[in-house]
Amino acid sequence: MSRSQDANETDALETLGRSSGPASLILSSLADGAKHGYALTKDIESFAGVRLAPGTLYEALSRLEAHGLIEALESQDRRRPYRLTAAGATALSSYLKAQRQVAEVGLRRLASTWALT
Amino acid sequence: MTGRSRASRLLLWYPPAWRARYGDEFAELLAAELAERPRDVRRTFDVALSGLRARLADAGLVSHPLDHAAAARAGLATLACCGALFATFGAALWSQLATGLRWAAPADHGITQALDLMSLALLTFCVVAALGLVELIRAAIATVARRRGRTLRWPAMLAVASAAVLVFGGRHFANAWPGTGGHALTAHGLVPTGAVAFCWSVTMWITSYWAHPAMLAAFPATQVAWMTLIPLAACGLMTGMAQLIRRLDRSPRALCFEIWLARVAGGGMVLFLCGALRWLSSATAVRRIDAAGLTVLVLVIAAGISAMRRAGLERRAVTGVSGTRR
Repeated sequence: MSRSQDANETDALETLGRSSGPASLILSSLADGAKHGYALTKDIESFAGVRLAPGTLYEALSRLEAHGLIEALESQDRRRPYRLTAAGATALSSYLKAQRQVAEVGLRRLASTWALT
Repeated sequence: MTGRSRASRLLLWYPPAWRARYGDEFAELLAAELAERPRDVRRTFDVALSGLRARLADAGLVSHPLDHAAAARAGLATLACCGALFATFGAALWSQLATGLRWAAPADHGITQALDLMSLALLTFCVVAALGLVELIRAAIATVARRRGRTLRWPAMLAVASAAVLVFGGRHFANAWPGTGGHALTAHGLVPTGAVAFCWSVTMWITSYWAHPAMLAAFPATQVAWMTLIPLAACGLMTGMAQLIRRLDRSPRALCFEIWLARVAGGGMVLFLCGALRWLSSATAVRRIDAAGLTVLVLVIAAGISAMRRAGLERRAVTGVSGTRR
């Protein structure tokens, strides 16, 4: 995949504005399978230590759905699960690669200058 | 209060369209959250803020995640409301300034120029409103011909009834216009007296007399009743028209034309403000312009610009022209 393609797919999350932070957490949570709202909240809390408030969660979900990065499945009772789409998986992969690059550079510099590992 | 009823109450922060799509599942999540943490101010604040943002999106003032065409129509409806508000407050200002000039000739050209600019701006509004109305009627006829006009019945009836109240009441009470019998001086600029009397009559409620009940009590009872009725009829007209604009399906080309009309109306708003500023800058202006009225006009312009920008972006999304969403 070329660098410009990567940039475009990372942009898919950046264009979500204030929802881009919660969006990356939601996409990461959905990466291992479909989940409904409450399951998403609990899963994100367990792996990121962040508890998304209901309003923030659904604002991000509606934007991700509008951008075609996730899709709603048939509702189970009143709870509706969501799953990642192919476009969502690609956007998440690009976003996380970019984040990993930033993390690696930052850690390397901290190690060389401050002797922190 | 049970978790479900609290969840239902919190859900009221969101607009009906959002509740129709996400309401059940969101209420379910809220009920689970409330069972786990019954008291959480941060959660209540978060729901309220997200709900208000969803309402702004529903009004076409910020990015709309649900439907681009609906968002463009919502933006246009908000624009129409902004235009109507601006025209109402502008007409009140214009008619009160013009009424004073029926009895005394302006001492310099600044006053005449100011009134000319404001009159031109209001004329622009009338032309834009007429063209917009023709386009709306054309779209309504097309919708009814496709047998999809059932949802248009109530908003259309509300708009027509409210407009009828304003036109007939306005014409009746225009007879009491304080400018009647004044001198028709040409130096006063583009001010047809019939239009001034009508504008004065239908904007009579925009007055500081409401803060002085004793003075208001000296008015004839019918006039006070009319002053109370006008804002209700104006709200009815705006609600009916906004609902029609939101419910009527339009082609991207028609949306494009309506956004162009909105830009012309925006030009009219700026022209009107230029006229008001010209009046203020005139050394001989005896009558000062009401600062509260001018503030309302500026705020309405700001909301109109936001709605116009959003409607333009959503229209581009409908037609597939690239645009940056924020």
